[in-house]
Amino acid sequence: MSTLTLLASGEDKFTPPGLELFESPPIIPGVDWFTKPVLLALLSTLIVVAFCWSAFAKPKLVPRGVQNIGEMGYMFVRDQVARPFLGKDADRWMGLLLSLFLMVWVWNVMGVVPVLQFPVASHIAFPIALAIIVYLLKLYLGIKHQGPIGYFKNMMFPPGLPKPIYLLLGPIEFLSTMIIAPFTHAVRLFANMFAGHIILAFFSLVGFWFLFEKLTPLGAPLGVIGVVMTIAMTGFEMFIQFLQAFLFAMLAAMYIGNSLHSSH
Amino acid sequence: MPAMSEKKIRPEDDGRDFASAAWSVPSYILSGMILYGGAGWLLSKWTGVIIFTPVGLIIGVILAIYLVYRKYGR
Repeated sequence: MSTLTLLASGEDKFTPPGLELFESPPIIPGVDWFTKPVLLALLSTLIVVAFCWSAFAKPKLVPRGVQNIGEMGYMFVRDQVARPFLGKDADRWMGLLLSLFLMVWVWNVMGVVPVLQFPVASHIAFPIALAIIVYLLKLYLGIKHQGPIGYFKNMMFPPGLPKPIYLLLGPIEFLSTMIIAPFTHAVRLFANMFAGHIILAFFSLVGFWFLFEKLTPLGAPLGVIGVVMTIAMTGFEMFIQFLQAFLFAMLAAMYIGNSLHSSH
Repeated sequence: MPAMSEKKIRPEDDGRDFASAAWSVPSYILSGMILYGGAGWLLSKWTGVIIFTPVGLIIGVILAIYLVYRKYGR
């Protein structure tokens, strides 16, 4: 509530929340890099490690407790993310894909955890770091499995097209795979979390402003709408958080798959 | 071609591949627009004929969609 109080007090008219939502001061004075998103990212790492540890460290033949949930997550990532794109190579890449999926999901869920309430990926540096890892892996695997020339040849000139078409489509394919795809990979996650956080902040501020700060007969219904919308959008946001984590892992699997085998 | 035959092994994934690949379409369309829109913009700069820029953009989108169709549509 501190941000909301800060935003709402002092002025007489309603000001919607803006970029100041994403500015956080250093937690320890003097250590500039250690801010709230960094703390949440570290916390998320701990959560994912602790979860995977308790689920998979001592696997039982008949799973119970945390192992059950862990296996549900594993099966989901394997069947929905890894297998459609990697086929028989799926199992080898499950470590990376499951980590990516859980990591991004926990980052995103931080956006609706009370008190914490900040989606880590709404600072673009975090998705960029993950996207760069996937990008370097994609280049390495492509050159390793298809050869330095073969990789670019298979990428830009898939067989079965009339010659002049290559001249037109090759550059698009190259630009897309080399520059735009990793860019959209990171930006898609960032933009969704960024926008979602602003939407939640906006509606909760509407509710807070018109029901608590400036309670008037005409403003009260608007405040009620704000509260109702906050609840509805929180639910929707939780769905988006899951969807974006799924998409991020799925695109990573797709890039890896395309590097392992020439696409078509 | 080997990729094609591998796909036959798992018919249960048919269609899902396509639906999921659709998520990579935006990057193709962006690339097409940047490349051919950029070429059109350069042409406009040189010749002074403004129409080249929008024509280039549209050609870029059409080519990108055609590329996606050739790659993922069968």
